[in-house]
Amino acid sequence: MEQFLFFLLSLSAIAFAVGVVVVKSPMKSVLSLLGSFVALAMIYLLIGFQFLAAAQLLVYAGAIMVLFLFVVMLLNLSDVNAVFDAPIRVLGQKRIAIAASAAALIGMIALFAGGSVQASESVGAIPAEGYDQIEYLGALIFSRYMIPFQASALLLLATMIGVLVLAKRRRDSASDVNSEEPAQ
Amino acid sequence: MNPNDLDFDLLLTPGAWTALWPMITIALGLMMLLAAEVVSSLRPFRSIFFLATLGVAALFELRILAGPESLTDTGGIVLGGALVADATSAVWGLIFLIGTALAFSYSTAYYSGSEARYKDEHDILMLTCPLGMMMMAGAQDLVVFFLGLELLSIPLYILAAYKRSDSKSVEAGLKYFLLGAFSSALFVYGSALLYAELGSVSFGGAAAALAENEMGSLAMTGVGLIVASILFKISVFPFHVWVPDVYQGSPTPVTALMATGTKAAAIAFLLNAFFLLPSSAANLIAVLGIVTMAAGYFGALVQDDLKRMLAYSGIASAGTVILVIAGALANPESLDAARTAALYYIGAYVFTITGAFGLIALFERDGQRFTRLTSLAGLATKRPAMAAAMTIFVLSLGGIPATGGFLGKWFVFSVLVNANMIGFAVIGAVLSVIALAFYLRIVITMWMLPADEAHPIPGADRPLIAGVATAVCVAGVILTGILPGLFI
Repeated sequence: MEQFLFFLLSLSAIAFAVGVVVVKSPMKSVLSLLGSFVALAMIYLLIGFQFLAAAQLLVYAGAIMVLFLFVVMLLNLSDVNAVFDAPIRVLGQKRIAIAASAAALIGMIALFAGGSVQASESVGAIPAEGYDQIEYLGALIFSRYMIPFQASALLLLATMIGVLVLAKRRRDSASDVNSEEPAQ
Repeated sequence: MNPNDLDFDLLLTPGAWTALWPMITIALGLMMLLAAEVVSSLRPFRSIFFLATLGVAALFELRILAGPESLTDTGGIVLGGALVADATSAVWGLIFLIGTALAFSYSTAYYSGSEARYKDEHDILMLTCPLGMMMMAGAQDLVVFFLGLELLSIPLYILAAYKRSDSKSVEAGLKYFLLGAFSSALFVYGSALLYAELGSVSFGGAAAALAENEMGSLAMTGVGLIVASILFKISVFPFHVWVPDVYQGSPTPVTALMATGTKAAAIAFLLNAFFLLPSSAANLIAVLGIVTMAAGYFGALVQDDLKRMLAYSGIASAGTVILVIAGALANPESLDAARTAALYYIGAYVFTITGAFGLIALFERDGQRFTRLTSLAGLATKRPAMAAAMTIFVLSLGGIPATGGFLGKWFVFSVLVNANMIGFAVIGAVLSVIALAFYLRIVITMWMLPADEAHPIPGADRPLIAGVATAVCVAGVILTGILPGLFI
């Protein structure tokens, strides 16, 4: 049963991922990305990582996808289609990209199928006795990974400041231009 | 994992506090700068806050350098193996702090118009950078390193695009961001592959796993991806093409920070993660280093924009400094010598390149872009002090004896010689001599060509702080050149 579910979910994740690239309409593309994320979250649940599944749904399927949808809806869709339809001639980028991705895929399959790859036993380690998964995660974050945890707080702060600086300035320069226009 | 390993109180030993104080200081300084932005009576003291924060952090680094017992007992490893704080990481920390302080000094009067109005945010972003660098240099864990890398890179992406009205700056920010994000993704992917095989993202855990088994192809792929992303950050061939555009477009004080900080922190990480690299990679890395040097020097020969020239010279320096990794791989006993050589080379380089970019920043004030080589013509008659300082920096970049640049190169090449890679050392030395051609071009332009009357050298109101910074840079270059005993 578990095996069947896993194959079902991973196949649908792959199918949705292919859909993101193949589908012409940006809207459908975003929605199939959502499908891929959800299927991935299910796989996490299947192997017992509830927190990861929840985070995947909340952060990716929730926040990031909504942002994507907003951007796609705010863009002029007919313009976007024109971009997609335009033949990409520069250095045959499309062909190079396809070739490189295919090479990477074949390489990974060869690595795994060749049997030379053995995942470490401690990967996916079960938390120590007496630790709930989320409790364990919390203990890790506030002990060993305290520095990265605090640093990510500062990182978000810096990013926020940066976004404000870059975005707010645009309005300033726009108003500068407006005030100069009558003079011309 | 033993639950006791996760006990907050057990991990936060006195040694851990000692190791963390420099970072805590910078984080507190950041908050203070933010507060100073709101409280108008504190605003005039912003620069003092900035420099004082760096100064206090430097004092804490000196305390680590002194080697208190609480740290030396555990070999400097703290927080359950997440971070190392020993003499090496302390010296790296000092280099980062000095580099940031110098870059900041040159930035105080650099911006004008709407950019000057956003100087507060600029300072906050700039203060985040040394924190990221310290995390990168002290990381004993790929997660810690990655957060440090992002804490350095994301502010730099924003700072690169800080001159919003200048299309070159926006282009620089965008290029740096897209390529940098791509290389960060490579790093994460590589870490995941490494974790899949070794079962740990900490160096201690990975080393333990490697002691039992040979490294398999999955982990090897991971290491390859990680190294590729680091080489991108250091700007080593073939990952160097972004450098000239980004360095030229970014605001010049930011370029100075970018050129020194990223390079130094990434090299520090490579030396820490040294055990992950297979020793058979020595020749590959040496070849990459030499090709990078050649690409940098020959690229610089045909430039006539000063910032682009220095960018190519920065690429060449990256090629030079990764040679120590090759030397240490070929002869593992020379790892300590390689550390010293890298520290010395980068230490001298911080003074040299920050001074050079800083002087350019002084030339191009008032929104005018005096970055052509010809705009330096006649500088010696108009501003002899500035010309003399620039000459010292350029000679140090060229590796003339009695400057820090010469001794840095000397240490790097001697690591190679000790590792029996004399051929590479000779090619490197020959390339350095060829490079003198374009460094001397700058000197000749300053001292021998008559001033261009149509484009007079601008700006008489040089801020005092920039003058002090230039003096510090000159002193640093000369002291590292003639008194190496002071620093080793």
